[in-house]
Parts: sequence; structure tokens; C-alpha cells
Amino acid sequence: MSHLGPGKAVSSKEQTGLRYPSNGKTIYHRPLNRTKTAELSQSSFAYLFSEMVTYAQRRVTGIQELEKRLNLQGHPIGLKLLDLLLTREPPRSQTRPLTIIALLHFIKINLWTHLFGRQADRLEKSSNPDTPDEYMIIDNEPLVNAYISVPREMSQLNCAAFVAGMIEGVCDGAMFPARVTAHSVGGKEEGEMWPGKTVFLVKFQPEVLEREALIGKG
Amino acid sequence: MSYYFAIIGTQDNPLFEYEFGTSKQGGDGQARFPDDAHHLNQFVLHSSLDIVEEVQWTNGQLYLKVIDKFFTNYISCFMTAGNVKFLLLHQPTATAAAAAAATAGVSGVTPVANPSRNSTAVGANPTSPQTEEAIKNFFGEVYENYVKAIMSPFYKVNMGIRSPVFRQRVAAAGRKYL
Amino acid sequence: MVRPDRQLQPHSSLQSNIIGNVNHATVISTVFALIIINKAGGLIYNRTFHEGGLNKISTNDYLVLAGTFHGVHAITARLNPLKPITNPNRTSTTSTFPSSTPNPNTGTPNPSATPNSSVPSVPSTSGGSYLTRPDPPAGLEVLETENFRMQCFTTLTGTKFLLFTDTTQANVDLTMRRVYDMYADYVMKNPFYQLEMPVRCDMFERKLGSYIREINNR
Repeated sequence: MSHLGPGKAVSSKEQTGLRYPSNGKTIYHRPLNRTKTAELSQSSFAYLFSEMVTYAQRRVTGIQELEKRLNLQGHPIGLKLLDLLLTREPPRSQTRPLTIIALLHFIKINLWTHLFGRQADRLEKSSNPDTPDEYMIIDNEPLVNAYISVPREMSQLNCAAFVAGMIEGVCDGAMFPARVTAHSVGGKEEGEMWPGKTVFLVKFQPEVLEREALIGKG
Repeated sequence: MSYYFAIIGTQDNPLFEYEFGTSKQGGDGQARFPDDAHHLNQFVLHSSLDIVEEVQWTNGQLYLKVIDKFFTNYISCFMTAGNVKFLLLHQPTATAAAAAAATAGVSGVTPVANPSRNSTAVGANPTSPQTEEAIKNFFGEVYENYVKAIMSPFYKVNMGIRSPVFRQRVAAAGRKYL
Repeated sequence: MVRPDRQLQPHSSLQSNIIGNVNHATVISTVFALIIINKAGGLIYNRTFHEGGLNKISTNDYLVLAGTFHGVHAITARLNPLKPITNPNRTSTTSTFPSSTPNPNTGTPNPSATPNSSVPSVPSTSGGSYLTRPDPPAGLEVLETENFRMQCFTTLTGTKFLLFTDTTQANVDLTMRRVYDMYADYVMKNPFYQLEMPVRCDMFERKLGSYIREINNR
């Protein structure tokens, strides 16, 4: 910690060789609250995401590894969005999620609205008594998969693993360590209403449930 | 009145620290800690992390107010959504501290329950509503800049914040509110 | 948030040389088949939408057909039955008939070769001027027989779309435009599609199928 000593660091502007943008405006000069209607082109995202998938596909040995890489690409985004979205909340509802339900609602509503302009379609808890640590966030047609057709030989793959990574980032950041995976559940038949339906399976670590039980008592 | 501010990461690792003094009531903004207090402050601050962990799950607010006290050192805490802690150690000048300690009694480590409200000067009484509000505003401004800092694509979680602009912003917030 | 942007700028509206009188009330219009040929003349996609309209041919014949058409197309782009046209009002007319599809096979565009009569053959009155360059020749665009009508659309990158329809089919331009839109969305934005390779994208199949079915059932 001593290397961050207060006396030294104040004058570190010259030493760091830090370069400022030509207009002198760094990220600290920009407002955090962008207008709610700020939108991006879906096409540019589609091309960018397509390249991200292609990049992740390089030198992977299997589909699991590919999904892992997509997950890792999303993870830091989730971590950062957690703080960003909370600062954008109005001050009185600015609270940290303390329970699993509060956290999942934050993901379903705030995170989804910020990323995709709508809420996630459903939130479910595993009905299996053996897995009380599993929750499901359901999206009928994930935006990231809008233009993606997965080849037959990779049918296990769901590129929404990227979004799963973001969810995992939010959970990890809020101290609810979890493993999040994306699964395609839409039917392949003609006339299927939601062929791209995706379930994000959120599996929390045991200590999260332990703590949840303790908080419930207290 | 002197302040020692630190940002502590999720692994209880320090990310940023800054010492400053009050700019109110003619203060020059310089910290007036005794020479041997610099390292002590770090210990005092980090020892309060245990209390933070207890409080954080019962209170969903970001600003947790004064959570710990060690002799004349008061520690205020602010939790970000990503479980990064902002800790501010504030040490009132000897006379003000004595007055506060007298009213609070020997309260040990628990937050002072019923502070005297006779002093309105920010900082003179570490648990007065005025001080609480001032610290809250300070934390709020730092949080805003912290979020901007972590938005950098080159910033990963638990990395030290070395941006000189960030440091300037923290200093400015300190001057403005404390 | 991401906004869906559908609109591609039309950079080449298709010339429509509909000869027969189309009576909407009595005719049933049908789209028979779609063929996509890559810029090297290889068949990358073929699909029949309506049985009975055309004779069935084998896969091998399809490949031969694609290659043959590719050659014929290249030849037609070089044929030039017309004199060079110099029209001072060209800039305004080309905006309505911009058949500006460069043909990769013709090498340098031959300014004197303007086989398609999309360019209005209005003789210049104010003296010839080469200040405005004529569009490079687009080659064969429409082929009509008594049984079917074939329309060809060449993209800027040299990919050719062949749409086989009823001779009475109206608005083939529009249909072609939508097919091209879908190709741009569901094929080109798909990370698993390799350029110039056969198109195997479920999403493209599905969207194309439902669009053409809609037309054929009208």
C-alpha cells in the first residue's frame, strides 16, 4: 500500500506519461446518466458479436470451451454494469441487492432493460427439491442470437453464453457467487412460436444459500 | 480535523488511499496526523472491515454511516454494489473529540447511539447529522467518479486506481464537503 | 439498448421489364425457386418453393446451371447493341435506375457496353458529353419464357440472386429486395457462415420459407 502513498501520487501526472484526449475531456468529464433513449444500431452489434464469436472459436477444442470463452467475455461487463446501473437508480431505491430474489429482479428488470430495451420474459425457481440453488431466467428470443444459426454439428452451443457471462458477473460482483449457463429449449419444428427460447440457469454456490437462510432468520 | 480515505477491494485489498484535512472553518486541507499515525490509520481502517461484513447484510443502503470507532478515530463506510468499500477515517481535533467522547461514554466499537447535537460544525462532532450528511455527499461524489473509473475497458476488478484525474476528483470532493 | 434497423439503403433497384399485362384479379402469382450464385460462379444456395412449376433437375444439374448462367451473365455484360449514351439529365435518371452493379467477371467496366436498356435511350439533345460516367454494365437481368420468368440481381460484391417466378408475378423487385435483406441479416451476420461457401443457416431457411409462403398463398 505504501507505493500508493498520498504525498507521491498527487504529483504523478507527469510521471505516468498519461495522455489526455486532445479535447482534454477524460471519462471523468462525462456524465454517468445517459438519456434513456440512447440506442445503438442492432446491425453494428450483430456484426461485432459475430466477430466476437469467431474470435472465441479460434483454437477451441470443444463447444464447452467456446461457451466458456463467451462467458468470460461477458463477465467483466456484468461486474461493471452492476455498479453503473445502481448509480443510475433514483437515490431512494438505490440499495444493494441483499437477497437472491432482489438480485434476480435486478437482473430481470434493470440489466435486461439496459441491454435489450425490455425485461426478461420469466423468472423461475427450480422445482426440483434436490437443487434449491438453481434459478432460471428465461428469454424467448435473445437479442444476441437474432441472426445466428448454429450449425447442426454444434447443436449444443448457445451463443447467449455471452449474456450468461454478464449475469454471472452481476451475481459475482454482488457477492452471490454463481455459475450461469445458457441452454436452448425452443423446439425446432416449423411453426414453433419461440424457436430461439433460451434458459439462463443460475446455480448459486452453497454459501449463498447458507447466508440467505441466516439473513432470513435475523 | 484530519481525514484518511481508502477504497478497499473485494478481497480486502487496498485500491486507493488519500489523506487530507478539513477545508471548513479556515482549514488548509492538510492532514494533521501525528507522524506515527499514518501506518496506524491503515490498521485501524482495515480492522473495521470485520464490522463492515456484519453490517452489509443487514442494511442494503450504500452509505452505512459510522460503523466503527477506535479511541478518537471514527470510521464511516460506503459499500458499492460491487462490494468495494469506501472507508473514511475521521479524527476530530482533540477538544472536539473529548467532548464527543464525554457524551458518548465508553462506547467501545459499537456506533455511538445518541450523539450530542450541540455542535453544528461539520466534522467537529463525528456522529452529528451534519457530519453524516457531509460524508454522505463526499462518498456520493467519489462513487460517481469510481464508477467512471471502472468503466475503463482496461480496468479489471480489484485493480488499484492510479488515475491522477480520479485523485484530483477525490481531493475536490474532500474540499467541497469536508 | 439496441434498436433494430432494418433499412438497407437500396443501392440497386432492379429493373422491371414486365411485358405481359398483369391482371391481379385473375392470376395466381407464384415464386418457384431461388438460386444464389457466389462471385466465382459456384452454386451456394438453391431452394424450390413450389412443386410443379418447374422441372425437377438433379443437384449436379443445378451446379451446371449456376456455372452456365454465370458465364452467360458475363457475356451479356459485354454485349453492346447500343451506342454510348450521353444524357445530360443522367444524374437524375440514374437515381431511379441505378443498375450500378459492377460485374467482377468483366474486369474493367467497358463504358461502351450498355446492353440493358434500363438506361433511357433518349438521345441527347444538348450535345454528347462524357462528364458523367455511364454505369458499368449489369448484364442479364430478366429472362422470360412462356412458363416462367427469371430475374437476376447482382449484389455489389458479385453475388447473384436468381428468382424464378410465374410470368404474371408482380413486384418481383420487392420480393428480391426482401430476400436480399434476409440474406444480409441471417447469412452475413451469422458467425458460422463462411464467405463464398454453401449457405446452411436454419434461421435463413425459416424466415425465407415463411416469407415466400406468404406470397404464394396470397
